[in-house]
Amino acid sequence: MKPLSFSRAILHIDGDAFFASCEQARDPALRGKPVITGKERGIAASMSYEAKARGVTRAMALWEIKKLCPDAIILPSDYETYSMLSQRLFSIVRRYTHEVEEYGVDECFADITGYDRPFKKNYTEITKHIQETLRQELGFTFSVGLAPNKVLAKLASKWKKPYGLTVVPETGIAPFLENLPVEKIWGIGGQTAARLARYGIQTALQFARAREDWVKQALERPFHDIWQELNGALVMPLFLEEKTFYGSIQKFKTFTPPSKDPNFIFSQLSKNIENACIKLRRYNQATPRAIFILRTQSFNHSVMEMPFARPTNLPPEILSVARAAFQKIFRKNTLYRATGFTTFNLVPNVLQPDLFLASGKIEKLQKMYASSDKIAAKYGKHSLFLGTSWKAHQFGAHLTERGHEPERKNELFLGESKRKRLGIPMLMGEGI
Amino acid sequence: MTTPKYFSSIARFYRERKRLPSYREMLKLTGFRSTNAVYRLVERFRQADLLTKDAAGKLIPGKRFRELRILGTVEAGWPSPAEEELIDTIGLEDWLIHNREATYMLKVSGDSMIDAGIRPGDMLLVERGRTPKEGDVVIAEVDQQWTLKYFQKRGRQTILVAANKKYSPIIPQDELNIAAVVTAVIRKYHT
Repeated sequence: MKPLSFSRAILHIDGDAFFASCEQARDPALRGKPVITGKERGIAASMSYEAKARGVTRAMALWEIKKLCPDAIILPSDYETYSMLSQRLFSIVRRYTHEVEEYGVDECFADITGYDRPFKKNYTEITKHIQETLRQELGFTFSVGLAPNKVLAKLASKWKKPYGLTVVPETGIAPFLENLPVEKIWGIGGQTAARLARYGIQTALQFARAREDWVKQALERPFHDIWQELNGALVMPLFLEEKTFYGSIQKFKTFTPPSKDPNFIFSQLSKNIENACIKLRRYNQATPRAIFILRTQSFNHSVMEMPFARPTNLPPEILSVARAAFQKIFRKNTLYRATGFTTFNLVPNVLQPDLFLASGKIEKLQKMYASSDKIAAKYGKHSLFLGTSWKAHQFGAHLTERGHEPERKNELFLGESKRKRLGIPMLMGEGI
Repeated sequence: MTTPKYFSSIARFYRERKRLPSYREMLKLTGFRSTNAVYRLVERFRQADLLTKDAAGKLIPGKRFRELRILGTVEAGWPSPAEEELIDTIGLEDWLIHNREATYMLKVSGDSMIDAGIRPGDMLLVERGRTPKEGDVVIAEVDQQWTLKYFQKRGRQTILVAANKKYSPIIPQDELNIAAVVTAVIRKYHT
């Protein structure tokens, strides 16, 4: 057999029902059953293939799921465990190549070009080996696409799921794209698909066969990149750097039941501000302005953008502005269900001496928050928080499902606490 | 002052004056009241090869005098554990965990391995994807539950044996799923 031709060998590795699989992998009692995560949010965040087969879809409301699938096992999200397993996914792939782009919590790209010689295996065999190692060491499956670039690799990993391995060599592109609707392509949304349909382009292959000068002239730059990749070229490089600088940081949290109480709602906003500031300080960044958001029960949003006296990452400096914004957008006798805090145009955090403002006071605040961050590192996040966030901390975000925290938070070893646990995923269930 | 500190003040004197202090000067450096005490200190340094005497009977730096200074420990005091000496040590976590990405923990709830010293409440570190060997303690999946047993062979047949007479061996009818091999048992008594 002639070896498949690859000028570049790019992988896209995609978790199969990642969160639900994390749950099924640690507790065999969940294996083969419809499992849904996202209980605390009231909607399905992830569902096992058994649940998908019963018609459960992403973001479906829990009451609807219970009607559709009465035996569904609905679990609160355990993001701590999911994040640990996500890190393990990336670490395992990095055993094979250092060129790994962490694209999402449950997916990554990897460039294995040139590794066929040292591994003495062809690209398909290497891909199989990675896929098998992931299954063995993480206990659940991933679908993988192997292709000459990112756009094709991402299409390939979706081709067959779960546990699919789809190889698209340069010579196999045309048959692969033939019956694929154009909106399945990564980066082509509904609007663009509708635009392309007007030119008679419905399949990915029709788009790939479009004349280049027309693509360049009629469409924007990103679509020309996609067009080139569909034709086998590699134009989108892998982003290998770990994120060390953010352009924006957003904290948006829903709570149940919805509330009319301004003190409670403001405490939720205050907690979001504190959370965003923790992240800003971790990356030593500051925000010059921010958007405050309130979402009502009927999904209306009130939004207010406000600047600060100086770029900051200290909650007390933000809070006075937040209060003013809150008073302007809060409506009495309205049920709210979420608050949000968005920072953007972020800058590196430097203390500029200011002749008019009391920079001594700011320095004191900075010292205080440096200590607070140290305490958090030792005793857990939110060991210290502002009094204005108290009500939000008192009940957790979701009163109705109170008492149903992730099981791991109540299964503690000596020396662990609800705030700090060992950073190793735990196998659970009866019978050990 | 401690012995290392006496040595570092002598070493500092040597660095500044390019010679060792006399007994009288050492009296001042150390704060001792009698030359006898200084003599005993010098004898200790001589035994440690930090100081020695030349043909004329005068004190000169010993073999290890320079060595200590090179390590940068003179200022800090006695040969304290220098970084160079710690290169060959490993942390408890690295010692316990062989394959980080494949290691999970679990809490023992039953008494099926009590005679192997594994008690309810103990923490197990287990490795997924490792091929079990005869006599390993393993986590197997039986009837949609984890079970903790010895992995043993009876002829070609694999059996799961408890370390507790109360339980009889499990002889799997069809395919047996060994999820992980136990690599360590941890019991913590105090915080």
